[in-house]
Amino acid sequence: MSTRSSNELVVVTHGLTKEFGDFTAVKEFDLEVPSGTVVSLLGPNGAGKTTIVRMLATLIKPTSGTAEVCGHDVVKESDTVRSLLSLTGQFAALEDNLTARENLLLMARLRGYNRSAAVRVTDSLIERFDMSEFRDKLVKSVSGGQRRRVDLAASLVVQPKVLILDEPTTGLDPRSRQVVWNTIRELVGIGVTLFLTTQYLEEADALADYIVLLDHGRVTAAGTSNELKARIGDQRVDVIAADVAGMEELARLLSTNFEISTSSEQRMISIPAPHDVEDLAKVSAALRGVSVEIDEVALRRPTLDDAFLALTGQPATETKHDEGRRTPELEESHS
Amino acid sequence: MSILTLERAPADYEVLPARPSSFSRFLRETWLLIARGLRTIPRVPTRLSDVTIQPIMFTLLFLYIFGSAIHIKGMTYQNFLLPGLIGQSLAFGVIGAGVATATDFASGVVDRFRSLPVTRLSVICAQVVGQVIEQILGIAIVAGIGLALGWRPEHSVTTVLALIGLILLGLFAFTWFGVWLGMVLKTSDAMQGIGFAIMLPLSFLAGTFVPIAGLKPWIRVLAEWDPLSSIVASVRHVAQGTNATGSWQLTHPVVSMVGWCVLIIAVCVPLALRRFRTTTAAG
Repeated sequence: MSTRSSNELVVVTHGLTKEFGDFTAVKEFDLEVPSGTVVSLLGPNGAGKTTIVRMLATLIKPTSGTAEVCGHDVVKESDTVRSLLSLTGQFAALEDNLTARENLLLMARLRGYNRSAAVRVTDSLIERFDMSEFRDKLVKSVSGGQRRRVDLAASLVVQPKVLILDEPTTGLDPRSRQVVWNTIRELVGIGVTLFLTTQYLEEADALADYIVLLDHGRVTAAGTSNELKARIGDQRVDVIAADVAGMEELARLLSTNFEISTSSEQRMISIPAPHDVEDLAKVSAALRGVSVEIDEVALRRPTLDDAFLALTGQPATETKHDEGRRTPELEESHS
Repeated sequence: MSILTLERAPADYEVLPARPSSFSRFLRETWLLIARGLRTIPRVPTRLSDVTIQPIMFTLLFLYIFGSAIHIKGMTYQNFLLPGLIGQSLAFGVIGAGVATATDFASGVVDRFRSLPVTRLSVICAQVVGQVIEQILGIAIVAGIGLALGWRPEHSVTTVLALIGLILLGLFAFTWFGVWLGMVLKTSDAMQGIGFAIMLPLSFLAGTFVPIAGLKPWIRVLAEWDPLSSIVASVRHVAQGTNATGSWQLTHPVVSMVGWCVLIIAVCVPLALRRFRTTTAAG
């Protein structure tokens, strides 16, 4: 990837491959991540995102190929690599029966701070991440969004060269997701190199400089958000009429001003909306005073499914072999 | 929720001290992780009851219910039962250690520790030492109640030291067994179920509550070669000076207990270390 000229490559992988028995989780994955960028691995469950993350974080060994973090090999210099990166895994791995503050203190101490420095670092994180109100609550009794914040803060007791976030917003409600996004944007603002995995196109679009689309362990497409969007297609305004006759009448009306496509089964008219809300407003204005009954007018973003459909000609499918929890015995025999 | 402000971030970080030698790092990290485990004991009702209420209950129930019907020739039931209960507590350490290990793996906490620049051996050593400390607490409670209710072990210095030595050896062995089993079984539910299914019959067979000598011949053979029998017999031999009869392991209880423990350690430590290096939990 060469979206940004930089002399420092933080993550470099060559032909990175991981097999679990007969199953190839990741196949010849190549990537170069310059300092200060946000890279997002985007794909459905089982696409190989987490396997890549786990190889970078030195938790599993590649079957073949290499990966380096700041020039240090993840297998041969794993201890150095661990001191350069922070991993925030999928399940907000915190000790449930310690408080938010105790968890952060433990992480700070394990990173090597002495007691008083650990207290200072922890307290400044609590302040910055706005965690004062639940700092002394056991982690098992805080909300999902709060837990995620503690989790992120735990990865930031030192300033890592690379921060790896594995599906940081999966399972969060929209409000908590916004909070996590804001946090991530702030981190980007201070120059942290971010490696983010997600199942949400919207999330990759909102946060990443460079997006890698993964499917069945292979790279399907890669590029900046704009490059990918140009291939996927823009967002659109969908107008859904109450019945087919109504839809046909609306189609006649709208086709004079807009480029439309219709779907009779869904009673839906779609209009490309490159200018977001502006286009939505124009369509709404055109519909004002119309006597036809309308069920819905909405601005829609392309989803991960749309992206896969556009780029691979096939919808995204979850791989039956789900990476993670259920397969440690497979990992075992091969690492 | 307010918008977060992180502009000050770089300035807030403290300078990390130079990394000490690997051995002092190992000790420091192990201690930090042990402290983490111990701190959570009073906050988890089930774990707290495993080391407090459960041993108290066992002691009282067996002492007063079985004790009213069982008469041991030449000794009080207290003096027969308490060494048995201590042996059983050692063996049940497998379950506690396994459940704690499985829970840590399943929650991804172990993975997080392993992604830190922390010596990996410290993560598993902390697990073992933490569990041993937890079990010592339980055994101290059993012994304390026993003493209050009329248990009278021999009380020479050598007896006490020998007893402590045997208990520590047994705990160490069974805890490693539990840590390994916890990684193999992966979930705390499975560990709990299978752990009890294995340990409970072995413990009842081991002459913990009634003398092996009075059992029917076919079951007596099983009991005489139950590894836990050697542990119960050994604790009883050291604490009360009694000599059991029967199989070789019962007539040489201390030697066979040490043998069993060394065997368990020799098998389980390498297995557990290997498993720890290769098993990863959360995806």
